[in-house]
Amino acid sequence: MNSSSITLEICVIALGMVLMLADFFVAPDRKRYLAYAGIVALAGLLLVSFSGDGVCSIFGASFSGSFVEDPMALFFKRLFIGSAILVLFLAAEFSDRFASGLNEYYSLVVFALAGMLFAASANDFVMLFVSIELITITFYVLTSFQKNRLASLEAAVKYLILGALASAFMVFGIALIWGTSGELNFNGLAQVSGQFVNNKLFLAGCLFVLVGLGFKIAAFPFQVWAPDVYQGAPTPTTAFLAIGSKAAGFVLLLRVLFVAIPAVTHHWVHLLMALSAITILYGNLCAMPQRNLKRMLGYSSIAHAGYLLLGVAALNSSGQAAVMYYLAGYLFTVTAAFFVIALVLRHVPDENVSGLAGLNHRSPLLATTMTISMVSLAGIPPLAGFFGKFLLLKAIIEQGPAHHGYYLLAFIALVGVIISISYYFNVIRAIYWTRDPADLSPITVSGPARFSIAICVAGIFWLGLFPESVLNFAMSAASAIK
Amino acid sequence: MNVGLEQFLTVSFLLFALGLLGVIMRRNLLVIYMSLELMLNAANLALVSFSRFNNKLDGQVVVFFIITVAAAEVAVGLALIVALFRKRPTAHVEDLATLKL
Repeated sequence: MNSSSITLEICVIALGMVLMLADFFVAPDRKRYLAYAGIVALAGLLLVSFSGDGVCSIFGASFSGSFVEDPMALFFKRLFIGSAILVLFLAAEFSDRFASGLNEYYSLVVFALAGMLFAASANDFVMLFVSIELITITFYVLTSFQKNRLASLEAAVKYLILGALASAFMVFGIALIWGTSGELNFNGLAQVSGQFVNNKLFLAGCLFVLVGLGFKIAAFPFQVWAPDVYQGAPTPTTAFLAIGSKAAGFVLLLRVLFVAIPAVTHHWVHLLMALSAITILYGNLCAMPQRNLKRMLGYSSIAHAGYLLLGVAALNSSGQAAVMYYLAGYLFTVTAAFFVIALVLRHVPDENVSGLAGLNHRSPLLATTMTISMVSLAGIPPLAGFFGKFLLLKAIIEQGPAHHGYYLLAFIALVGVIISISYYFNVIRAIYWTRDPADLSPITVSGPARFSIAICVAGIFWLGLFPESVLNFAMSAASAIK
Repeated sequence: MNVGLEQFLTVSFLLFALGLLGVIMRRNLLVIYMSLELMLNAANLALVSFSRFNNKLDGQVVVFFIITVAAAEVAVGLALIVALFRKRPTAHVEDLATLKL
């Protein structure tokens, strides 16, 4: 079953190549429609992944154990394909702001998606390294895509230097882990990792690998790139970074911590708790004074990485399921926010919060969407963000009797939520209660943009009000990595 | 003197530390990028020497993957640095200050 197990990945890579070659056959003024072709193809793949006898339902390992298909891989693959579809919609709206190479942008998004799909199934360190680099190197190009805008290039160079630094640490960590234990495969490592909990070289290797993964999820102290890159990158790239790249980091983190080195993870529970608490406080406190909307969302994404780390630090399967559920909610919420940013701040050079002034008169649809998105990010019922945070806190408090530090962690998370309400409501205040907004011209929203915004808003309400089906899926996915 | 695994690993650690120091201390983008390559090669040296002394070939195979990926990263990275240089003729990191609060 070797090559049949990667059918989905092969289809996605073929789609990327077709989109790239279409350059020769499609007239320049029609190139934005290529995005819709890509969306249709990806939607087809998403449907195939739901069909019972499809390519994704045969669970098991292949390629001598380096590629594994299980419910968790399936959950993340659907999440990644969904996010790529929404990002392509966003890129089609954004297409007039790219000077050239539009079809390359679409195909690079699809190639990054291929990297994420491989990451979802990675079960040894070589696969982990290659898939994470496929994602990261593609994102360097996606970030720099507005070549005539200095901020975009500067963000890409900053991302490049720090990303290469993180991957150098990760490679060195892999070398140390393999050198001491002689295993690259996660399952093989799981059997021997218990013997190495006191081996300094092995622990240093695990720490270095965590540095690389911490960079991908933008956790403290590897978060310095996030605000600059979020601000400088083109808006569709920022949206894909916020959800796709972060989710890829989390699926690899879950697999490394709970499949490969569970003994070390239990040894390091205090480290994980401290990382989570500091990341939450840092992200939320730094987001407060920001005026640039994308930069503020960059800091808020650091804070959300901290919330997600709560579920990792809980060390139980309800925590892992909560991480997956939270990421699904975050997908819809954050993409909705970036849609509004891309549509409203089209002619404003600096993308500040004040640019949203009077939005409720200019486009009630976009004003409502932004409000729902901010309320969900802040974690107010009955939206997706609230239920995700509720599950994460529940998982933490369940572990409270075993270790009282968890109560403190839950308290810090609540403090973070309260801080975050202030800056999310700043955005809502700018929309509805700004005196004498400078620009009151109505904004026209195209049909495809309306459609994708409707998907995002429906997703936010669906995950907030009817959590059963996704939660059950996340639970079964979490039980797969035990 | 008998050269064993420890000597190889010490060299590899020193190379890694030198690379890290270069990334932190140097101010020229191209030199920083060179230091990053030094760090990657330090890891390659560690993998190859573990492979030699543990009599397992996996490490040498991993090195091929790392060299390939690093080549791709350099291609993209140099292109980005050149694009930035065209926009603003300086290669110093202090001048990368457009993005701030």
